[in-house]
Amino acid sequence: MMMPAKSKSIVLTALLLWFAPFLAQAEGLIVDQTFTGKNQITATFSAPIAKDVAEDIKNYTVFEESDPDILLELSSATLASDGKSVTLAFKAPLNTVKTHVVDAKGLAGIDKTTFRVSKSYLGYLFGILISALLINNFVFTKYLGLCVFFGTSKKKSTAKGMGVVFTLVMVASALMSWFFYQFILIPFNLNFLQIVIFIGLVSLTVQAVDTILRKVNPVLFNSFWVYLVLVIANCVIIAVPLILANNNYNIFETFMLALGAGGGFLLALYLMSSVSERMQLAKIPASFKGLPIAFIVAGQFAMAFLGFSGLQIF
Amino acid sequence: MKNIITIVVRLTVSCLLAATVMGLCFIFTSNAKKHNEHVKEQQVMYELLGYQAGAKFPETMALHEVYRFVITGGGKQSIGYLVPKGHGGEKGFLFVNIDLNGAMLAQQNVALSEADALAPETRNQAVTKVVGPGYEVKFADQTIVVTNSGHRVAYLLSGKFQGFKTFVNVMLAVDPAFAILGLEVLEHEEDPGLGAEIDQDYFKNQFKGKPFEALKTIEVVKAPIPADYLEALNGKIGEEGILKFREQYKDKAVYALTGATISTKAVAGGVQGIVTKFAYRIAVLDKVVKEQQLAVAF
Amino acid sequence: MANDKSSMQLITRGILSENPIFKLALSMCPAVGISTTVMNGFMLGIAVLFVQVFSSVTISVFKNLIHPRIRIPTYTLTIATWVTVIDLVLAAYLPEAYAKMGIFVKLIVAFAIITMRLEMFACKEPVKDSFWDGLGMGLGFMIGMMVIGFVRELLGSGAILGMDVLGFKPLLFFILPSAGFFVVGLMMAFFNWIEIFYKRSKGLK
Repeated sequence: MMMPAKSKSIVLTALLLWFAPFLAQAEGLIVDQTFTGKNQITATFSAPIAKDVAEDIKNYTVFEESDPDILLELSSATLASDGKSVTLAFKAPLNTVKTHVVDAKGLAGIDKTTFRVSKSYLGYLFGILISALLINNFVFTKYLGLCVFFGTSKKKSTAKGMGVVFTLVMVASALMSWFFYQFILIPFNLNFLQIVIFIGLVSLTVQAVDTILRKVNPVLFNSFWVYLVLVIANCVIIAVPLILANNNYNIFETFMLALGAGGGFLLALYLMSSVSERMQLAKIPASFKGLPIAFIVAGQFAMAFLGFSGLQIF
Repeated sequence: MKNIITIVVRLTVSCLLAATVMGLCFIFTSNAKKHNEHVKEQQVMYELLGYQAGAKFPETMALHEVYRFVITGGGKQSIGYLVPKGHGGEKGFLFVNIDLNGAMLAQQNVALSEADALAPETRNQAVTKVVGPGYEVKFADQTIVVTNSGHRVAYLLSGKFQGFKTFVNVMLAVDPAFAILGLEVLEHEEDPGLGAEIDQDYFKNQFKGKPFEALKTIEVVKAPIPADYLEALNGKIGEEGILKFREQYKDKAVYALTGATISTKAVAGGVQGIVTKFAYRIAVLDKVVKEQQLAVAF
Repeated sequence: MANDKSSMQLITRGILSENPIFKLALSMCPAVGISTTVMNGFMLGIAVLFVQVFSSVTISVFKNLIHPRIRIPTYTLTIATWVTVIDLVLAAYLPEAYAKMGIFVKLIVAFAIITMRLEMFACKEPVKDSFWDGLGMGLGFMIGMMVIGFVRELLGSGAILGMDVLGFKPLLFFILPSAGFFVVGLMMAFFNWIEIFYKRSKGLK
């Protein structure tokens, strides 16, 4: 599928704009800056720097962005052999969650060079995705969406169908909820209308997807309309807007959260349906048949997912 | 066509009805909510200072709120303190602007009542006006200085830091030498039975009485709490016994919670950060107050 | 056709034969998620009871004014309104209990059980009957939650309603959220077993 030239350029511009902040900070001299190790920052330069200037710790002022009056104590500054990067070591471990500001005096003759070190934003966004997908899986860790979950996890095909439809509606309604929240609820102090507005938006999205699918692809519509109706009864669909309102996420974070929530639901459904299919062949005591054994299996999955707790990739 | 109109009309009417019900409910409850929050905060503060629920707060004691702001402008940053004025019962606040090296930049009277200072909007407005155009004012944190008959007896600090899962919100009481008088965990999202034990007495009481020097180099040891110490932490022995144990363990490392070492380390590190930063800042503020002979309430 | 069931019959139907959690297997999210103590179950049960009763009554009062084509949006609107009300009230007057329940109070709006009840009962029946039916359903939910909470609290923290009963913690696992699945599954199996046993003994007679 060829992407028309116009949309390619739009995508490129979007990507550039996204990365621009990282490029702009460089001020030409600093090419890269990251946390390396528990109490170190490494900065890379575009040209070699004089050793005596770079290794004098008195030339550096480092503080966490939110506490500019608390200066962090350096223990040493080491210049790499090629002269193009310096590693600053600190006396106490750094709190890498916070953005640090480094002021360097006299590097390459420039009076003051300032750069900010923080964990990659893309990594943070990805972290939200992984969190919603695995660590805080909406079904196994947050216990939401169970009614629909148990109903549609009998076969792999229903599981896939439900999961995909749900993810689509989830992302669409989450983005719409974000717009409503940012531009209508907050400015007019109408926060108590959260619940009504969000559920209204979900119903609207379901209705819209229903109508669009009916016209665009009737075949697909026939196989998926049953799932559409079930989406509204799913607790997760309203939990995501509530979470994004609570944490005041921006649009990228909302998108990641919705994608992770939908993906996590799909994952949970798929895992459950795989087990369900095998359970059909197993000998289950009469009183356990149906829901009880499904609950027990779900419980075991929930225990397994506990293992993701505290996972930190970025 | 008529059908659609009826539908739309009925839908709109029901929406308006619903909105009215919710709006009324919101107005009634928001006042109660604010009041309850305030009462709860006060309760936590009194408990930290050693006055259990129901005990009368002495009349000679007073709480003074100090608000800290970060001022950014003109390529520079400075720290602003909103300090209550005192000595003679004057009301109102003094705004002291201190630069990053500890030298005072400016000081100005701010005619702000205590109630207005408690509300973020009016507080920010007043400070922004004092600072003048071209500067960005960001509220950093709030400390309470507790005095008894004019002498400082304690400071109440609050802070938020990363726990095992998400944030942990704590409130601390420290004495004038920055030793810990009490610790209260206000909010957390840790696992029940594991990390959530940080709000149990036997964990929090380990911090009580720790002197500032021990706090600066605090460590966590992965070992079970000795049985007799545990009894003292749970308050199961007499007052003298508790004090004896506190004295014995005050310079030692904090015992980690079973299955929650990371949560324990987070709390220990968080408390250490809050107290050390505060100690530095209050020293800077006190120096400025003394040098400039500012008339503050404590 | 108006039902001539007495109020007691309506209530017991909600608690026993059509118990939302154990029989109808609806609204299971909170049953698994926050039934860690009896108190939690009780508080959420009260919230659901409130929403159920008020929604049933509201829809029953207005049943002749609701246009059939916009039934479902009207139900959703009514439920959302009452959920917002109970959410605000709980947040203001019972902040500690509210904090423990977290997001689940707001999620009551997505409970299929309430919408189903409105669709099947409240839009056809007189106000009084709807009131008793709503009460029965709400009570059934509350009792179900409290039973699960009782088992989990006793086995998990050795206490009931916060009071230490056993003096030690038998199996910490039970208050971990994943145990909710196990407890509900086992209890459902238990109810099934009783039913099978009962039917078998009746069948043999």
